[in-house]
Amino acid sequence: MILLKLISWQYVRKHLLRSLLTIAGIVLGVAVFVGMHTANQSVVKAFTQTVDRIAGATQLQITAGEAGFEEEVLERVQNVPEVRVAVPVIEAVANPETRSKGNLLILAVDMTGDRSLRDYALEDGDDSFIEDPLVFLAQPDSIMITQEFAAENGIKSNDALTLNSMDGPKKFIVRGIMKSSGLTTAFGGNLAIMDVYAAQKVFGRGRRFDRIDVAVQEGLEPEAVAKKIEQALGAGFQVESPSSRGKQFESLSSVYGMLANITSLFALFIGMFIIYNSFAIAVTQRRSEIGILRALGATRGQIQVLFLMESAVGGLIGAALGALFGVLIARAMAGSLGNLLGEIYGVAQRAEEVSSDPKLLAGAMVLGLITSLVAAWIPARNAARVDPVQALQKGKFQLLTAGENRTRRTLAFVFLALVGLSLVYGEGRLIFYGGYFLSIFAGVLMVPTLGLWLAKGMRPLLKAIWPVEGALAADSLIQSPRRTSGAVAALALSVSLIVALGGMTQAAYGSIEEWLRIALNPDMYLSPSQNLTDRSFRFPAAFAEEVAKLPGIRRTQFVRTVRLPVDGEPVMFVSLEIASVRKEVRMPVVDGDPDAMYTGAAEGKGVIVSDTFALQHKRKRGEVLTLNTPDGPLEMPILGTVVDFSDQKGSILIDRAIYQKYWKDDSVNVVRIYLDDGVTAGQMRDRVAAQVGDRYRYFVFTNEDLRSYILKITDQWFGLTYIQIAVAVLVSILGIVNTLTVSITDRRRELGVLQAVGGLRMQIRGTIWLEALTIGAIGLALGWVFGAVALYYALETSARDLSGMRLEYTYPFKMALLLIPVILGSSFLASLGPAETAVRGSLVEALEYE
Amino acid sequence: MIELTGVTKRFDGKKQVTALNTVNLQIAKGEMVSLVGPSGSGKSTLLNLIGGLDKPTTGEIALDGAVLSGLSDDALTKLRRDKIGFIFQFFNLLPTLNCLENVSLPLHLRGWKKAQIDERANELLALVGLGKRLDHLPEELSGGERQRVAIARALSVYPPILLADEPTGNLDSATGVEILGLIRDLHQRLETTVLIVTHDKAVAESCPRQIALKDGVVVQDRRV
Amino acid sequence: MSRWLLLFVAGSLWAQDARQIVEESQKRHRSRSQQYEGVLEVYDAKGGKTEKRWQFARIGSFGQSKSVLRFLAPPLVKGVALLIHNHPDRASDQWMWTPELNRDRRIALQDRSTRFFGTDFSFEDLEERDADQFDYKLLGEPTLNGQACYQIESTPKQSRTSQYSKTVIWVRKDILLPVQFEMYVKAELVKRMVHRRIEQVQNVWSTLELEMSDLRKKSRTVMKSEKLKYDVTMPEAQFTLQALRRGE
Repeated sequence: MILLKLISWQYVRKHLLRSLLTIAGIVLGVAVFVGMHTANQSVVKAFTQTVDRIAGATQLQITAGEAGFEEEVLERVQNVPEVRVAVPVIEAVANPETRSKGNLLILAVDMTGDRSLRDYALEDGDDSFIEDPLVFLAQPDSIMITQEFAAENGIKSNDALTLNSMDGPKKFIVRGIMKSSGLTTAFGGNLAIMDVYAAQKVFGRGRRFDRIDVAVQEGLEPEAVAKKIEQALGAGFQVESPSSRGKQFESLSSVYGMLANITSLFALFIGMFIIYNSFAIAVTQRRSEIGILRALGATRGQIQVLFLMESAVGGLIGAALGALFGVLIARAMAGSLGNLLGEIYGVAQRAEEVSSDPKLLAGAMVLGLITSLVAAWIPARNAARVDPVQALQKGKFQLLTAGENRTRRTLAFVFLALVGLSLVYGEGRLIFYGGYFLSIFAGVLMVPTLGLWLAKGMRPLLKAIWPVEGALAADSLIQSPRRTSGAVAALALSVSLIVALGGMTQAAYGSIEEWLRIALNPDMYLSPSQNLTDRSFRFPAAFAEEVAKLPGIRRTQFVRTVRLPVDGEPVMFVSLEIASVRKEVRMPVVDGDPDAMYTGAAEGKGVIVSDTFALQHKRKRGEVLTLNTPDGPLEMPILGTVVDFSDQKGSILIDRAIYQKYWKDDSVNVVRIYLDDGVTAGQMRDRVAAQVGDRYRYFVFTNEDLRSYILKITDQWFGLTYIQIAVAVLVSILGIVNTLTVSITDRRRELGVLQAVGGLRMQIRGTIWLEALTIGAIGLALGWVFGAVALYYALETSARDLSGMRLEYTYPFKMALLLIPVILGSSFLASLGPAETAVRGSLVEALEYE
Repeated sequence: MIELTGVTKRFDGKKQVTALNTVNLQIAKGEMVSLVGPSGSGKSTLLNLIGGLDKPTTGEIALDGAVLSGLSDDALTKLRRDKIGFIFQFFNLLPTLNCLENVSLPLHLRGWKKAQIDERANELLALVGLGKRLDHLPEELSGGERQRVAIARALSVYPPILLADEPTGNLDSATGVEILGLIRDLHQRLETTVLIVTHDKAVAESCPRQIALKDGVVVQDRRV
Repeated sequence: MSRWLLLFVAGSLWAQDARQIVEESQKRHRSRSQQYEGVLEVYDAKGGKTEKRWQFARIGSFGQSKSVLRFLAPPLVKGVALLIHNHPDRASDQWMWTPELNRDRRIALQDRSTRFFGTDFSFEDLEERDADQFDYKLLGEPTLNGQACYQIESTPKQSRTSQYSKTVIWVRKDILLPVQFEMYVKAELVKRMVHRRIEQVQNVWSTLELEMSDLRKKSRTVMKSEKLKYDVTMPEAQFTLQALRRGE
């Protein structure tokens, strides 16, 4: 510890900027880790909190996926003797016409019984906050809002509040304002309560409930009662504690969590090189210091520990700073992430509070510490090996690295050979990922050699263009591969990440566009909500049938999308008239005979699944899915797999007749409309308007609208991946800054001479810039090559374990080209600071003894 | 040619050190002057100030009538590269460049054309007697040879002034004599003004004018 | 709902012990059917007043009665109707008809301490009280408003949960009609119910006006019954869901 203070602190103080740059990699990696996860956790927590707060004293919630169920189920539940209270619930999100932005979560309950479960804080103190409960029930336009929402929008009791309903915009009367309580803070206070039977009408639910909330008889275990209810209702119903809904949401957003992990690990991995680099340089620079320490009796172990301690302290400081930034990042992105996840998964939550999980923070600290220690391991070992006698001799500065390089190369080739083998025999998960990691290691090990070759190759070119600056810049790299290879490796890895992501994005985009073209080919769509993933509103079947009869329509298809549990996980069911769809749509088939699968599915003999579902649930064609319907289990063989992007977590196509029969749900989310020739979407829009008027709430989407809507969400999703790119570039830029800072110190005399013999400041700057650009160019070139490999692995990983999308390998040349200005530009920016430092120093000092 | 008026140089550190104290000095064109004195007497500082590598705290330095104070860094560099050639004790050759490239360096920095540079560099290396070792790297040369390359580099554009800081300090005595001979030879052939900082008595005494410094003050200035 | 009818029943007999007094009082005031128009006035702590009117009809006697309650005023609740089927062995079935929604609903089992539609009555206050589920103790025989009364303390038995820890009841000696209730939570007096206007209707002593005060909220509810009639002949069919929907 004393050593740490005496020796290390002095060094750090002298090279403060550099030390900070060194840990910047850790800071960024940890910041991204903490930021993305905290944002995600906040969203999940907001959802859980909303669920919790709304749950009140509810111990069990009964659902049938998202399909809901008929009213009579309530009586069956109430007749279970272990049930104390069972009340029906409909939950929906509506957008009110109010001052404050944001949706209103509508909790529709049966007020006559619901107060056993939820505290509406209506009669606390002197006032009754709901003036007349009887009026509330008697009038279907009754609504109750929270004090918070009322205050924000200046709404008083008995004021009107317009909400969009299935019957068009509808005026509601605020019959009660709830005092602040646990319940009213749910969904950020944007909560409204209405009567469940009124809600059935308003949201087009028919005589159905979304859910039944249950409290069990006193003294009974909810789990035991859940079993009783399950027995009474059958397997088509899920009886769970409210908190398990939070878990479901978590599982939905797990793809995002995975993304966050990859991004931050990548940042840390790249950061590791910067740390390695810095320590390797520090060990070289501090050779004489180490020599003195050794001569004074320090053991090899003590030296090694000294360096490891330094890295540990650096790692912890970096992680702490990173955690701090991470929380700030989370603050900035929680809201928009919440919206995005809400749109993708159709789940209501409002992420407002951002709080960091101590476990996450601790994990981040450990991550930073480990990264730093791993990075410093080899330099620390090298430091321990320093021979005190040699170290004290002046002059012999550079350690010979030829032998080291040879070892590296050999190792790299062994790894490459193993990677090759893993590709040939790569069926197993372990072998595949082993190959993946070995390929990264091989690449990293080859960086010094390849970098050297490239630098040597570039020297004549550089020299031809800038005889002095160019040659010196190249020489700087050639002379000290140790100084630069870390930065080059970091950059190459970043570029490879970008290439891989770019390739994936391009491929995903391509597939999604193809799917859009093939599967979403109707001329127009009718949807009950503005947001197509929001399933709060549904058309009654009567509406869809009425529209279908309009002249000018060649064909309509009624779609009901609903998330239902399969193997315990929510899966998107797309129920539509498969025979009709078959006539218009030829979905890209992955497995199975197209005609057989469509005919079979249309006859209700099975289902068609998306390949995403097949991959994620490890299900194959021919296997039988047991679907638990409210009517009991339904055995459905998988007739084939197709490409379908209806949902990130995969989808199941089922014939509408089967769905209606077993789930007793004839509501419609989307009406797909094919028009007669010569009829435009605009004309049809008018016809629908003339027919329907404002009897129903509906939104018209043209084919183009829908395409751009889906592409917009896709863009937003991929937007998240751009964070990865930004982080990767940023980290590697820091690496370049770090390297150059060391470089100008090492080359101080050389630069001094250059000035002494007549080099202008511009020329000195030039050589630093060129050095940076050369690093950039080498990193870029290697990154392009590594990227080709990384893309392969990224696509495979995505297909195997991430999204289940099977995507085609296309090298993203455009993006690779685009990277030239980006990387060179950033390298140039990275060199500005060091270049200024280089021309600012005292010439006399620079020219003094070495 | 070189004119110093009241030049004082102080270094600010924990303790202020006056390296030069009101030095007045004139060196005429074509003179060959030695500058001697014990360590810390200020002789290297004086050389650095004349060479424009450093700036005096007070006082003025003029080269060929041009006053250095008030020039920007870049203007100073331009003046330096036209008027001054430097020879260092440790040669200060760039290790990665071969002889020809090292000598070409100042010419490149001046933006000369390649053919011109090659011609001049060859000429210079021939002048210092290294016409046949053009593509050798500094580490492949002996100390004397390295200093010859450094001298050739200093002469690149035949500057009117040659400043040498202990040019023989890192060489054995025979080589030292050889290098000194080369410098004197060049001085005579090119009529270059030469200023040599040295603590070698023999070197000092071989110069027609000898200036001695002590504690930042000129204590002796004699012509032989 | 129908259970509050208990509060209107009347009669007279003298008895030896507290429990017998209560049982006799209950027995004395049973009738085959009943009809009246009610007015409910709720006064909040600030002196604000809301009023509701309804029509009430019941057939059948204690434990298996059926009743319909239909609101007449104010306009916002007009037409809302409640149908209650009481069962001797289990909780009653209750339905509500809301004309604006054009549908009926089953009223969920209540948490019995919940206030009844914004009045000072809780659902428990309105239940038919089964004498077997309470312990009774005769506290004394004080005079209340110039009338000799039995003062009886009733505490719920283990088997029965109640929001109140005890209730003190005043029963007029002459007609064996309960005329005042005081409800306690722990040792605190929280509510008081006073029967004000007591008259004989068709030879049955009946309360025509009573007032329930919530002492904590400082609000009170006055309930008046008009056009009270006993033993009216009404068809069974009038007490069905179908009838409720038709608005009969």
